[in-house]
Amino acid sequence: MIDTLLFVALPYLALFVGIFGSIYRIRTAPLTYSSLSSQFLENKGLMWGSLPWHIGITIILAAHIIAFLFPGLWQSIVSHQQVLHAIESIGLCLSILCLLGLIVLGLRRLTSPKLQAVTTTMDLVIIMLLLLQVGLGAAMAVHCKWGSAWCSGTTTPYVWSIITFQPDVSYINEMPLLVKAHIVGAWLFILAIPFSRLIHMFAVPVEYLFRPPQNVVWTNSRKLESQDQAFVKEEARRHFLWAFSGIALGGFLLSIGTFRNVFSFFFGPRLERKVETELMETRLSRLESTVGQRKLELERQASNYILVGKLTDLNESNGKYFIDFSMQPAIAFKGKDEMPLLISAKCTHLGCTVGNKVDDKGRILCPCHVSYFDIVSGEPNAEAPAKAPLPHLGWVIMDEKGSVLATRDSKGKSQGSVSAEQRESARVYIAKNQEETT
Amino acid sequence: MSLCTTRKHLLDLAEPALGASGFAVFAALACCTFFSLPAFSYPEFQEFVEKHSHKTVNCAMCHTNENGPVGEGKGQIGSLSPDEMKRLNSARGALEAGQNVDSPILNKFGNEIIKAVGKKKFVQLKSDPSKLFDALPGKSDLDGDGIPDAQEYMDGTDTLNKFHGDPGKLFFVNLSRYKLHIVLAIIAVLSLNFGLLHLVKGISILQSKKGD
Amino acid sequence: MIDLDKAAHKVSGFLSERIPVEKLNFHSMVEKKEVPIHKMSWGYYTGGLTMFFFMIQVVTGLFLLFYYQPTVSDAHVSVEYISHHVAGGALIRNMHAWSSSCMIFCAMVHLLTAFAMKSFEKPREITWIAGVLLLFITFTFGFTGYLLPWNQIAVNATKVGLQSVEYVGQYLPGQLADVPRILRETFQGEASVGQSTLGRFYALHVVILPLLLASLLGLHLLMVQLHGMSQGVDKPAKKAEKFISIFVFKDLSLWATVFLALFVVALCIPFDSFLPFPLLAPFNALGSTPQGIKPEWYFFFVYYPLELLPFWVILLASMIAVTVMIFAPWIFKGTSRRTLGFITLSASVYLVVMTVFGEQIYEFFKH
Repeated sequence: MIDTLLFVALPYLALFVGIFGSIYRIRTAPLTYSSLSSQFLENKGLMWGSLPWHIGITIILAAHIIAFLFPGLWQSIVSHQQVLHAIESIGLCLSILCLLGLIVLGLRRLTSPKLQAVTTTMDLVIIMLLLLQVGLGAAMAVHCKWGSAWCSGTTTPYVWSIITFQPDVSYINEMPLLVKAHIVGAWLFILAIPFSRLIHMFAVPVEYLFRPPQNVVWTNSRKLESQDQAFVKEEARRHFLWAFSGIALGGFLLSIGTFRNVFSFFFGPRLERKVETELMETRLSRLESTVGQRKLELERQASNYILVGKLTDLNESNGKYFIDFSMQPAIAFKGKDEMPLLISAKCTHLGCTVGNKVDDKGRILCPCHVSYFDIVSGEPNAEAPAKAPLPHLGWVIMDEKGSVLATRDSKGKSQGSVSAEQRESARVYIAKNQEETT
Repeated sequence: MSLCTTRKHLLDLAEPALGASGFAVFAALACCTFFSLPAFSYPEFQEFVEKHSHKTVNCAMCHTNENGPVGEGKGQIGSLSPDEMKRLNSARGALEAGQNVDSPILNKFGNEIIKAVGKKKFVQLKSDPSKLFDALPGKSDLDGDGIPDAQEYMDGTDTLNKFHGDPGKLFFVNLSRYKLHIVLAIIAVLSLNFGLLHLVKGISILQSKKGD
Repeated sequence: MIDLDKAAHKVSGFLSERIPVEKLNFHSMVEKKEVPIHKMSWGYYTGGLTMFFFMIQVVTGLFLLFYYQPTVSDAHVSVEYISHHVAGGALIRNMHAWSSSCMIFCAMVHLLTAFAMKSFEKPREITWIAGVLLLFITFTFGFTGYLLPWNQIAVNATKVGLQSVEYVGQYLPGQLADVPRILRETFQGEASVGQSTLGRFYALHVVILPLLLASLLGLHLLMVQLHGMSQGVDKPAKKAEKFISIFVFKDLSLWATVFLALFVVALCIPFDSFLPFPLLAPFNALGSTPQGIKPEWYFFFVYYPLELLPFWVILLASMIAVTVMIFAPWIFKGTSRRTLGFITLSASVYLVVMTVFGEQIYEFFKH
């Protein structure tokens, strides 16, 4: 019963009286259709009270109206968490600003003798109601958070249901008392418009925004001397005001856009277990391959001989890769003389690894820029971008006991031989002190 | 003797004294040529993609190992554990489309192909690799970069890296994805610029009058 | 017998003309400073733009420093971590990559416009030489930074680049033939590109080169401010605009627009997407080199000719170009701006054609 009274009857009464009452007042008492400014009576307090109050309430009301008039757009805006956070925190800050402004406005009305002469009861009632309404709004921002998000499903459809003459209180009758009180307060204000100074909302001098700047020109001698400086100060001040608003808007947008990311950047990612595990596995495998590399380097540092492979494993057309003492790739073939043929696999053009398959002309190919190298002479073909030949490496053949059977240095000078019985167990090594052919 | 078994034979004969480092050498280098044609890999697809996209691609397009499935390296047949062999055999049996496949020699995209197309049809597509584009599901986008996997296959880009794709396509996809950020950034920078200009103007007005 | 007094007088006269310290005051440097308005006035913005991109590099580089690890086992993983997991990491990395290309591009445009406008003319020789050195440092920044991700293209392209240093040896007589190899191994830190190379390239890129650049830039800017903007065209411009505030306005607006363009591009196009993916794989020292290894685009103007022509031709041309660049204030003392413009245009055409079409030209001549 009381819900119907407060949320169906009161709204319609408020809207009817608010709209028609205002029209009536504007037509019949036009001189009262103003803010009835008290600036000439008390200036300083007005600035400290009126500016924060009006700045705060204009933005807050504008946000309320957009949320009510364009629910779809509003919902898509607040669906971004950062935007929602920003709106909520700005709203709360603005409501505090409004409260402070209202307190100043109220106090000045109560303490200034000049003002008391022109203050009506309605003025004081309105200030108190505004304090209450804004206070309720601030309390809602703290105790019933994220109003800018939940309004889309509750208060907005409720207001639309009133305006479309299909009142539906079910949207709001389960809401907390704070919210309901705030809604009632709103209807009361609409009701009070024709009877109070609130009518000045419709008398906002919008044209002032587009009016060209005006300078007051004093012609008395007292003010004439400081005229130029005043002009300059005024002009500079205008620029500083624009500067402040530009930098404030830009800075504000940049901070809400980057703050979360900047904070998260320095805080560091907190990954899910599966992702963290995969990352650690990748790191471990890279470390392991570096370990493998270092082991090879150590082997080449510590040993005088590095095993290439068994003599019988070598092939005439399909080379076996190995790493030489300078950690460069090299290939081992079986030569036409049944002895090993070891050649560097680092292309003399730009260092790519040369392929290990011998073509029918006895050449191996570097695929990077297409250079063919003859495996016996090491020479590149005429059209190859590589100009220098691939150097050959010397080798040492040992039996399983480690006795040297045969050697060949990098220049091709051989010593010793390997008998047919020894071939089966013979192993090919490269030796540390053998130089490469240049 | 196929290349696969030749290598296995060589490794069997390799001396125990070689040690793990030596194995690493053989494993890594033995498979690093451009001209080997091992069994179980399909270079026809690689050739097609390179020709069509004018970009180089390697076996890592579909396989775990960039040098292909044959060899002793990680993700290659020669180095699989018994568990992984089981998975491989199960994947090889996925002749028809629709079966969830988890082959250890294939990466996510490779497994997705077999799941979408089935092993039987995939082998048939060897003769016309361009048809794989139509056979793959149009909406599948494994790396979430906004470009479907089938399109990335044709473009020769990495299907599993959200920062790799055709630059032009990525530009439009990301432009749409980040339009709110871009608009807000434009407003922020332009208003900062506006503010700074007026600040400089204000200071210069005060300075010039002072000078006079 | 050298007249010491006369020599000292000459040196001090030379220096006082080049370094007008009497102009080191607020009135000359700020209040009176003007920028001539003529058809080449757009060139006055190119230096500031280069510096703007450098500032972006410093900021994004500082952010990247927090997560990048300069070891052969962790470098690639850390870069992937930045791109995939760190909040905003992908954007910062992309801005760093795009901004580096933009900085080098603007530095080249600045060089060409300053040359065409004869800005090296007396008394601005010190400014010019500092500028040329800054250009070399900028290219070195690009070269050292490219190695840091430690992927296939990074390491192999660096190997190729350093190998060309060694090639000079074949033209040097006797013992000197070994000097380039020693030089190369000094850059590398070891026999082949590895951990030592990464360590010192990191030190160069993050500390040494920034310090060098900052000090030279300081000198360069001080000289620019002391001397004011150069004339730019043969007939002195009739109109001029105040540096503060008109020129600064336009400069700031240009920086804002350029920043927005860079932001949008870095947000929408990952720099890596221009490379084939095998080149982005982590470097494998024991594996084969993938196809398609080439340096960054800003080295194409020397890379493709190197592939096509004998090495000595490129070596000679480079030495001539560097000498001409450094000694331009004296070589082109009497040259008209018209001729300088012609030289600049020819050089620009060569640079653009070789950078954009270099690969096609190489393919055409090789196959």
